[in-house]
Amino acid sequence: MGDKCGAHTFPYMEIRNPSAVVEHEATTSKIADDQLFYCRSRGVSEEDAVNMIVNGFCKVVFKELPMEFAVEAQNLLAVSLEGSVG
Amino acid sequence: MLSIRDLHAQIGVRKILKGVNLEVKPGEVHAIMGPNGSGKSTLASVLAGRAGYEVTKGTAHYLGDDLLALEPEERARRGVFLAFQYPVEIPGVNNAYLLKAALNAVRKQRGLPDLDAFEFLALIKDKMKLMQMDESFLSRGVNEGFSGGEKKRNEILQMSVLEPTLALLDETDSGLDIDALRVVATGVNSLRSPERAIVMVTHYQRLLDYIEPDFVHVLSDGRILRTGDKSLALELEKRGYDWVKQEASAA
Ligand SMILES: Nc1ncnc2c1ncn2[C@@H]1O[C@H](COP(=O)(O)OP(=O)(O)OP(=O)(O)O)[C@@H](O)[C@H]1O
Ligand SMILES: [Mg+2]
Repeated sequence: MGDKCGAHTFPYMEIRNPSAVVEHEATTSKIADDQLFYCRSRGVSEEDAVNMIVNGFCKVVFKELPMEFAVEAQNLLAVSLEGSVG
Repeated sequence: MLSIRDLHAQIGVRKILKGVNLEVKPGEVHAIMGPNGSGKSTLASVLAGRAGYEVTKGTAHYLGDDLLALEPEERARRGVFLAFQYPVEIPGVNNAYLLKAALNAVRKQRGLPDLDAFEFLALIKDKMKLMQMDESFLSRGVNEGFSGGEKKRNEILQMSVLEPTLALLDETDSGLDIDALRVVATGVNSLRSPERAIVMVTHYQRLLDYIEPDFVHVLSDGRILRTGDKSLALELEKRGYDWVKQEASAA
């Protein structure tokens, strides 16, 4: 996932699919499935849909973080998403 | 255009569709009515490709192809559009961003070049006027915090931008105020053309005053029990569904 990650344990960085994002809440993984299907039903590929949803989710989470963490988290997200596609 | 033969589908061990037959030709508008839980949304979901349903028997062909063999995004790109009964919220994903990605995916399939941001904005602003939607909806998350009626309007906005060949509308009229119903109907009617078809699920005769169907079907307990014209909807409004079930079981 990149060398920047070593020092941080950021809980949202391990994401490979959107159901994993919200594993800790039983009902929300159903929501993630629905979100994925919604995007795909609009013609967006599964990969692109996963990226979109994860990005969006993180954007919402990062809004809650202090500024310096938010920037770092955005960078990490960019790195981790590169790795998960293709 | 859409040809459904003896379609059986279940979730887990629960059988929901029990032999649906439906033939939709280009230019036609079909209304599907029926009691709660009869399988209307399930039929729409199976046609759009939602996971979790097992088709145990029967076929569905779209423009000659085996629809059920295609991935959901593949169906969408070929012109199938489902307006959801309960559109999901996708926080943080920009409404306009998703729609632009969707439009360009569909355009690619049609052999058209991507629209750039300017062209897209011009198009969508035009369509939003038609749907009487404020431009602020562009920058919000997909359906995020939208009211029930706003979500339905957003579905029809997407539809009018994507210009599907086969539109499946699942209770798009539910939860709409009187003015919104008229706006949504205008959006749907502007899509009507000899090449396109519309299948709409509804509980209310009223919608059919605005969008006149060629056929009305009654889906009950996973089967289409009766098919008629617009007058069937009026009769259902007066008499309910019991007589349809009784006549079907007597036959
Ligand atoms: N995930 C599921 N697990 C078990 N049963 C399900 C599931 N999803 C749907 N069903 C059942 O399948 C049946 C058909 O549901 P469906 O949503 O297709 O009905 P509907 O005709 O659209 O009803 P409504 O008019 O209320 O929207 C219902 O009895 C419902 O409870
Ligand atoms: Mg339904």
